[in-house]
Amino acid sequence: MLKIYYGDMPEAIYNTAVYFKNNYLDEWMEDPFVQKMIKDVDKSVVVDRNLIESPALGKIPPTLLSGGVKTLILMYFEPENIFNASTCGDNCAKWILRMAKKKDITINLRHIMNFGKGNFEAMILNNNQIVHNMKEMVPVAGLSLRGEFL
Amino acid sequence: MKGSYDIVVRTKRLQIKFTVNRNITILCGDSATGKSTLVGLIGEYVQNGRQSGVEVICEKPCSVLEGVEWKILLQNRKQNIIFIDEGNAFVYSKDFAKAVKGSDNYYVIVTRESLHELPYSVNEIYELKNTTRSKYPPVKRLYSRFYHLYGLNKEIRKPKKVIVEDSNAGYTFFKYWFEKQGIPCISARGRSRIFRMINDMEEEPILVIADGAAFGDQIKDLYELQSSKEVYLLLPESFEWLILSSGLVQEKDIPAILANPSDYIDGKNYFSWEQFFTKLLTDSAK
Repeated sequence: MLKIYYGDMPEAIYNTAVYFKNNYLDEWMEDPFVQKMIKDVDKSVVVDRNLIESPALGKIPPTLLSGGVKTLILMYFEPENIFNASTCGDNCAKWILRMAKKKDITINLRHIMNFGKGNFEAMILNNNQIVHNMKEMVPVAGLSLRGEFL
Repeated sequence: MKGSYDIVVRTKRLQIKFTVNRNITILCGDSATGKSTLVGLIGEYVQNGRQSGVEVICEKPCSVLEGVEWKILLQNRKQNIIFIDEGNAFVYSKDFAKAVKGSDNYYVIVTRESLHELPYSVNEIYELKNTTRSKYPPVKRLYSRFYHLYGLNKEIRKPKKVIVEDSNAGYTFFKYWFEKQGIPCISARGRSRIFRMINDMEEEPILVIADGAAFGDQIKDLYELQSSKEVYLLLPESFEWLILSSGLVQEKDIPAILANPSDYIDGKNYFSWEQFFTKLLTDSAK
């Protein structure tokens, strides 16, 4: 299940790019789910565990992947940690939902991410409310970010 | 610092072209559009000049600000266009807002979070988009530009309630105007209260009137709220700007100023453009 805490969260890893640079493992790039995320978000292809072919940057190491994909990869391999998912654009949202179907994931959001028009399930930790779509999520998210609750 | 500045950042593989118009510009949007790449390229150019293989074309020096020593680094920068990538938490602090206020630089900040301490305009929030015509190889260079993230409402239905951010002259004017037409008009007494007020309202459609010049930190949330509420946004630079634009005040310089405010508004003296328009109106009315 996806759990979201909105607003400042000291225990969350804020600068996910720095954390990724110092902690990612080469074998992570071999995972088919990771390769799909990289292909979809960054339009890039994993050539081998240390080499990615990017249409914009040429051949790059994993550290030069987009901030959003790096955070997605961290969420996937380290679900015990809470990462700042505001480093992810809305084009990462569907991957967060897919991951949360496989395992429990807690993320920290500092903005209202758009999870799309479909239904999903997420627990807002600020007030322990479960929401099922953006219509239900936006009011809780907005008030949580302002330090208020419904 | 005042004026609009065209900036081109170029390598053999990509080119990013954009214009900054005022002291604070926000860059956000989807992942993998090149925001961090842009800041990284400028950083490499600052370190190594043309030997970096990066070309930065701009009338003003461009630089990058990052890390815990940002305050010290900022001290010697004047008339710079300063780029700050996401991950630099200091941009949310009161200290940073204090440093920007009265500073002689422009700032381009990459973030999706709202910066409540900074008064930035809804018109200066951009996303980067690839504008390369051919999507297929062989493409020698990818081209990207800044695009406004938030557009205007295309159609507006007659509102059942109006919320005005202001509690002074602007509110008095709009209250008179809308209540004459039987539409209740209330003051939010500050922009941060608008989200809650809309959320608590049962009548729709709702029209929100606020000063666009300093409403940047609220706009994303209100856009998202439109998924559950029929909300329309009317965001002129400020109420004073509306009066100046109406032609009510006959002052020969006003049309030229309104056509190109960037050329007249110095960010060092005016944290936000609304402050400039208030002074211009007050001085013109004397």
